Amino acid sequence: MDTHESSEKKKQKRGKETLTREELKKQQEFQEEAVAHINSLYNYALHLTMNPDDAEDLVQETYLKAYKFFNSFERGTNCKAWLFKILKNNYINRFRKNSREPGKVDYDLIKDFYHSIKDTRSDTSETDSDYFHSLMHEEVYQALQSLPEEFREVIQLCDIEGFTYEEIANMVESPIGTVRSRLYRGRKLLRGQLENYARKYGFNTDKEEE
Amino acid sequence: MNCKKARVLMSCALDGELTPKEEQEFQQHLSECLACAEEFTEAKKTKLIIREKIVRFKAPQSLVDSVLRLGIISSRQTEESLLFDQIS
Repeated sequence: MDTHESSEKKKQKRGKETLTREELKKQQEFQEEAVAHINSLYNYALHLTMNPDDAEDLVQETYLKAYKFFNSFERGTNCKAWLFKILKNNYINRFRKNSREPGKVDYDLIKDFYHSIKDTRSDTSETDSDYFHSLMHEEVYQALQSLPEEFREVIQLCDIEGFTYEEIANMVESPIGTVRSRLYRGRKLLRGQLENYARKYGFNTDKEEE
Repeated sequence: MNCKKARVLMSCALDGELTPKEEQEFQQHLSECLACAEEFTEAKKTKLIIREKIVRFKAPQSLVDSVLRLGIISSRQTEESLLFDQIS
Protein backbone atom coordinates (compact mmCIF):
# COMPACT_ATOMS: atom_id res chain seq x y z
CA MET A 1 0.00 0.00 0.00
CA ASP A 2 2.76 2.34 1.05
CA THR A 3 4.81 1.41 -1.96
CA HIS A 4 1.87 2.02 -4.24
CA GLU A 5 1.20 5.41 -2.71
CA SER A 6 4.77 6.57 -2.96
CA SER A 7 5.08 5.46 -6.55
CA GLU A 8 1.91 7.38 -7.33
CA LYS A 9 3.41 10.41 -5.69
CA LYS A 10 6.61 9.96 -7.62
CA LYS A 11 4.63 9.73 -10.83
CA GLN A 12 2.80 12.93 -10.01
CA LYS A 13 6.01 14.64 -9.09
CA ARG A 14 7.65 13.53 -12.27
CA GLY A 15 4.61 14.64 -14.23
CA LYS A 16 4.76 18.02 -12.65
CA GLU A 17 8.44 18.45 -13.36
CA THR A 18 7.99 17.55 -17.02
CA LEU A 19 5.06 19.89 -17.26
CA THR A 20 7.00 22.70 -15.71
CA ARG A 21 9.83 22.20 -18.13
CA GLU A 22 7.36 22.09 -21.00
CA GLU A 23 5.60 25.19 -19.77
CA LEU A 24 8.90 26.94 -19.34
CA LYS A 25 9.85 26.08 -22.89
CA LYS A 26 6.48 27.26 -24.16
CA GLN A 27 6.82 30.48 -22.22
CA GLN A 28 10.27 31.11 -23.58
CA GLU A 29 9.17 30.40 -27.12
CA PHE A 30 6.10 32.58 -26.66
CA GLN A 31 8.20 35.49 -25.50
CA GLU A 32 10.63 35.13 -28.37
CA GLU A 33 8.01 34.59 -31.07
CA ALA A 34 4.97 36.52 -29.96
CA VAL A 35 6.00 39.33 -27.66
CA ALA A 36 8.37 40.61 -30.34
CA HIS A 37 5.33 41.89 -32.26
CA ILE A 38 3.79 43.91 -29.46
CA ASN A 39 4.49 47.31 -31.05
CA SER A 40 2.86 46.32 -34.32
CA LEU A 41 -0.14 44.92 -32.51
CA TYR A 42 -0.47 48.04 -30.40
CA ASN A 43 -0.42 50.25 -33.48
CA TYR A 44 -3.00 48.10 -35.20
CA ALA A 45 -5.18 48.25 -32.09
CA LEU A 46 -4.80 52.03 -31.96
CA HIS A 47 -5.93 52.34 -35.55
CA LEU A 48 -8.93 50.15 -34.89
CA THR A 49 -10.08 51.61 -31.58
CA MET A 50 -8.76 55.18 -31.79
CA ASN A 51 -8.29 55.06 -28.07
CA PRO A 52 -5.07 54.22 -26.18
CA ASP A 53 -6.87 52.55 -23.25
CA ASP A 54 -9.01 50.34 -25.47
CA ALA A 55 -5.95 49.54 -27.55
CA GLU A 56 -4.09 48.38 -24.45
CA ASP A 57 -7.01 46.20 -23.37
CA LEU A 58 -7.28 44.73 -26.82
CA VAL A 59 -3.59 43.86 -27.02
CA GLN A 60 -3.61 42.37 -23.55
CA GLU A 61 -6.64 40.23 -24.35
CA THR A 62 -5.00 39.13 -27.59
CA TYR A 63 -1.89 37.93 -25.81
CA LEU A 64 -3.89 36.15 -23.16
CA LYS A 65 -5.72 34.23 -25.84
CA ALA A 66 -2.57 33.69 -27.88
CA TYR A 67 -0.78 32.19 -24.91
CA LYS A 68 -3.67 29.92 -24.15
CA PHE A 69 -3.74 28.62 -27.71
CA PHE A 70 -0.04 28.87 -28.43
CA ASN A 71 0.18 25.10 -28.83
CA SER A 72 -2.17 25.31 -31.80
CA PHE A 73 0.00 27.92 -33.50
CA GLU A 74 1.57 26.27 -36.53
CA ARG A 75 5.31 26.60 -36.10
CA GLY A 76 7.07 28.06 -39.09
CA THR A 77 4.07 30.13 -40.19
CA ASN A 78 3.89 33.87 -39.62
CA CYS A 79 3.32 34.46 -35.92
CA LYS A 80 2.61 38.15 -36.47
CA ALA A 81 -0.21 37.29 -38.89
CA TRP A 82 -1.62 34.81 -36.39
CA LEU A 83 -1.63 37.45 -33.63
CA PHE A 84 -3.21 40.06 -35.89
CA LYS A 85 -5.98 37.63 -36.72
CA ILE A 86 -6.69 37.02 -33.03
CA LEU A 87 -6.68 40.75 -32.34
CA LYS A 88 -9.06 41.43 -35.19
CA ASN A 89 -11.50 38.79 -33.93
CA ASN A 90 -11.31 40.20 -30.42
CA TYR A 91 -11.96 43.66 -31.77
CA ILE A 92 -15.03 42.54 -33.68
CA ASN A 93 -16.44 40.72 -30.67
CA ARG A 94 -15.79 43.48 -28.19
CA PHE A 95 -15.71 46.88 -29.79
CA ARG A 96 -17.80 46.65 -32.90
CA LYS A 97 -20.90 46.22 -30.79
CA ASN A 98 -20.42 49.77 -29.56
CA SER A 99 -22.19 52.64 -31.21
CA ARG A 100 -19.31 54.08 -33.22
CA GLU A 101 -20.01 53.41 -36.86
CA PRO A 102 -17.10 51.86 -38.69
CA GLY A 103 -15.82 53.96 -41.54
CA LYS A 104 -17.30 57.15 -40.19
CA VAL A 105 -14.54 59.64 -39.63
CA ASP A 106 -14.45 62.23 -36.92
CA TYR A 107 -11.51 64.48 -37.71
CA ASP A 108 -11.55 66.19 -34.34
CA LEU A 109 -11.37 62.84 -32.65
CA ILE A 110 -8.42 61.85 -34.80
CA LYS A 111 -6.65 65.12 -34.12
CA ASP A 112 -7.15 64.90 -30.36
CA PHE A 113 -6.16 61.29 -30.31
CA TYR A 114 -3.13 61.93 -32.42
CA HIS A 115 -1.88 64.78 -30.27
CA SER A 116 -2.59 63.02 -27.02
CA ILE A 117 -0.27 60.13 -27.76
CA LYS A 118 2.15 61.68 -30.20
CA ASP A 119 4.52 63.25 -27.71
CA THR A 120 5.00 60.41 -25.30
CA ARG A 121 4.87 57.30 -27.39
CA SER A 122 6.35 58.07 -30.75
CA ASP A 123 8.46 55.29 -32.14
CA THR A 124 10.43 57.61 -34.39
CA SER A 125 13.52 59.57 -33.51
CA GLU A 126 11.75 62.82 -34.14
CA THR A 127 11.96 65.46 -31.44
CA ASP A 128 9.24 67.76 -30.17
CA SER A 129 10.75 70.70 -32.01
CA ASP A 130 10.31 68.85 -35.26
CA TYR A 131 6.73 69.98 -35.44
CA PHE A 132 6.81 70.48 -39.17
CA HIS A 133 7.29 66.79 -39.72
CA SER A 134 4.47 65.96 -37.35
CA LEU A 135 2.13 68.07 -39.41
CA MET A 136 3.20 66.22 -42.51
CA HIS A 137 2.44 62.93 -40.86
CA GLU A 138 -0.93 64.14 -39.72
CA GLU A 139 -2.04 64.94 -43.23
CA VAL A 140 -1.19 61.43 -44.36
CA TYR A 141 -2.86 59.98 -41.31
CA GLN A 142 -6.07 61.83 -42.03
CA ALA A 143 -6.00 60.81 -45.67
CA LEU A 144 -5.73 57.18 -44.65
CA GLN A 145 -8.44 57.53 -42.01
CA SER A 146 -10.81 59.11 -44.49
CA LEU A 147 -10.95 55.92 -46.56
CA PRO A 148 -13.79 53.45 -46.06
CA GLU A 149 -12.73 50.91 -43.47
CA GLU A 150 -12.48 47.96 -45.84
CA PHE A 151 -9.96 49.85 -47.99
CA ARG A 152 -8.03 51.39 -45.14
CA GLU A 153 -7.63 48.05 -43.47
CA VAL A 154 -5.98 46.25 -46.39
CA ILE A 155 -3.70 49.21 -47.13
CA GLN A 156 -2.60 49.27 -43.53
CA LEU A 157 -1.95 45.54 -43.42
CA CYS A 158 -0.11 45.59 -46.71
CA ASP A 159 1.85 48.85 -46.76
CA ILE A 160 2.50 49.42 -43.08
CA GLU A 161 2.66 45.90 -41.69
CA GLY A 162 4.03 44.21 -44.80
CA PHE A 163 1.74 41.17 -44.87
CA THR A 164 1.35 39.10 -48.02
CA TYR A 165 -1.98 39.01 -49.87
CA GLU A 166 -2.55 35.48 -48.64
CA GLU A 167 -2.05 36.51 -45.02
CA ILE A 168 -4.32 39.52 -45.45
CA ALA A 169 -7.01 37.41 -47.11
CA ASN A 170 -6.94 35.07 -44.15
CA MET A 171 -7.11 37.96 -41.69
CA VAL A 172 -10.03 39.76 -43.28
CA GLU A 173 -11.70 36.49 -44.25
CA SER A 174 -12.07 37.34 -47.93
CA PRO A 175 -10.69 35.78 -51.10
CA ILE A 176 -7.33 37.04 -52.40
CA GLY A 177 -9.12 38.55 -55.39
CA THR A 178 -11.11 40.76 -53.03
CA VAL A 179 -7.95 41.85 -51.25
CA ARG A 180 -6.41 42.73 -54.61
CA SER A 181 -9.34 44.81 -55.73
CA ARG A 182 -9.68 46.58 -52.37
CA LEU A 183 -6.02 47.51 -52.48
CA TYR A 184 -6.37 48.73 -56.03
CA ARG A 185 -9.44 50.84 -55.32
CA GLY A 186 -8.22 52.07 -51.94
CA ARG A 187 -4.94 53.24 -53.36
CA LYS A 188 -6.70 55.05 -56.16
CA LEU A 189 -8.74 57.00 -53.59
CA LEU A 190 -5.69 57.62 -51.46
CA ARG A 191 -3.72 58.97 -54.37
CA GLY A 192 -6.38 61.56 -54.99
CA GLN A 193 -6.21 62.58 -51.35
CA LEU A 194 -2.44 62.71 -51.26
CA GLU A 195 -1.88 64.51 -54.53
CA ASN A 196 -1.61 67.93 -52.93
CA TYR A 197 0.48 66.55 -50.14
CA ALA A 198 2.94 64.92 -52.50
CA ARG A 199 3.31 68.11 -54.50
CA LYS A 200 3.76 70.24 -51.39
CA TYR A 201 6.43 68.09 -49.79
CA GLY A 202 8.45 67.03 -52.76
CA PHE A 203 7.14 63.55 -53.31
CA ASN A 204 6.01 64.60 -56.73
CA THR A 205 8.71 64.12 -59.29
CA ASP A 206 6.73 64.97 -62.41
CA LYS A 207 9.15 66.10 -65.05
CA GLU A 208 7.15 69.15 -66.13
CA GLU A 209 7.32 70.52 -62.60
CA GLU A 210 11.05 70.31 -62.25
CA MET B 1 0.44 42.87 -72.35
CA ASN B 2 -1.81 45.85 -73.02
CA CYS B 3 -2.34 48.97 -70.87
CA LYS B 4 -5.63 47.74 -69.47
CA LYS B 5 -4.09 44.59 -68.08
CA ALA B 6 -1.02 46.44 -66.84
CA ARG B 7 -3.21 48.84 -64.83
CA VAL B 8 -5.04 45.95 -63.23
CA LEU B 9 -1.78 44.28 -62.26
CA MET B 10 -0.11 47.47 -61.07
CA SER B 11 -1.23 47.24 -57.48
CA CYS B 12 0.01 43.65 -57.23
CA ALA B 13 3.27 44.54 -58.94
CA LEU B 14 3.81 47.16 -56.28
CA ASP B 15 3.61 44.51 -53.57
CA GLY B 16 5.68 41.88 -55.32
CA GLU B 17 2.62 39.68 -55.70
CA LEU B 18 2.91 38.91 -59.40
CA THR B 19 3.92 35.50 -60.69
CA PRO B 20 7.36 35.49 -62.34
CA LYS B 21 5.69 35.29 -65.74
CA GLU B 22 3.35 38.22 -64.99
CA GLU B 23 6.24 40.22 -63.60
CA GLN B 24 8.27 39.69 -66.73
CA GLU B 25 5.39 40.71 -69.00
CA PHE B 26 4.61 43.70 -66.79
CA GLN B 27 8.18 44.98 -66.85
CA GLN B 28 8.27 44.43 -70.58
CA HIS B 29 5.15 46.56 -70.98
CA LEU B 30 6.54 49.34 -68.77
CA SER B 31 9.67 49.52 -70.86
CA GLU B 32 7.51 50.08 -73.93
CA CYS B 33 4.74 52.29 -72.51
CA LEU B 34 5.66 55.63 -70.99
CA ALA B 35 2.16 56.32 -69.64
CA CYS B 36 2.07 53.09 -67.67
CA ALA B 37 5.63 53.56 -66.48
CA GLU B 38 4.68 56.99 -65.10
CA GLU B 39 1.54 55.58 -63.54
CA PHE B 40 3.64 52.97 -61.82
CA THR B 41 6.02 55.60 -60.45
CA GLU B 42 3.04 57.47 -59.02
CA ALA B 43 1.68 54.32 -57.44
CA LYS B 44 5.04 53.59 -55.84
CA LYS B 45 5.08 57.07 -54.39
CA THR B 46 1.73 56.62 -52.66
CA LYS B 47 2.88 53.40 -51.06
CA LEU B 48 6.11 55.05 -49.96
CA ILE B 49 4.29 57.97 -48.35
CA ILE B 50 2.03 55.64 -46.37
CA ARG B 51 4.89 53.46 -45.27
CA GLU B 52 7.17 56.28 -44.22
CA LYS B 53 4.86 58.94 -42.91
CA ILE B 54 2.47 57.07 -40.72
CA VAL B 55 3.88 57.49 -37.23
CA ARG B 56 4.42 54.30 -35.29
CA PHE B 57 3.93 54.24 -31.56
CA LYS B 58 5.72 52.17 -28.99
CA ALA B 59 3.54 50.01 -26.80
CA PRO B 60 3.51 51.50 -23.30
CA GLN B 61 6.01 49.79 -20.98
CA SER B 62 3.21 48.86 -18.57
CA LEU B 63 1.56 46.87 -21.35
CA VAL B 64 4.80 45.14 -22.29
CA ASP B 65 5.40 44.23 -18.65
CA SER B 66 1.92 42.86 -18.16
CA VAL B 67 2.18 40.75 -21.30
CA LEU B 68 5.51 39.34 -20.14
CA ARG B 69 3.96 38.51 -16.77
CA LEU B 70 0.97 36.94 -18.52
CA GLY B 71 2.99 33.94 -19.63
CA ILE B 72 4.19 33.23 -16.13
CA ILE B 73 0.81 33.55 -14.44
CA SER B 74 -1.20 31.58 -16.95
CA SER B 75 1.47 28.87 -17.13
CA ARG B 76 0.97 28.34 -13.39
CA GLN B 77 -2.76 28.13 -13.89
CA THR B 78 -2.43 25.68 -16.74
CA GLU B 79 -0.04 23.62 -14.71
CA GLU B 80 -2.44 23.45 -11.80
CA SER B 81 -5.43 22.55 -13.91
CA LEU B 82 -3.48 19.89 -15.79
CA LEU B 83 -2.20 18.45 -12.55
CA PHE B 84 -5.72 18.40 -11.24
CA ASP B 85 -6.89 16.52 -14.32
CA GLN B 86 -4.11 14.03 -13.82
CA ILE B 87 -5.05 13.33 -10.21
CA SER B 88 -8.77 13.03 -10.78
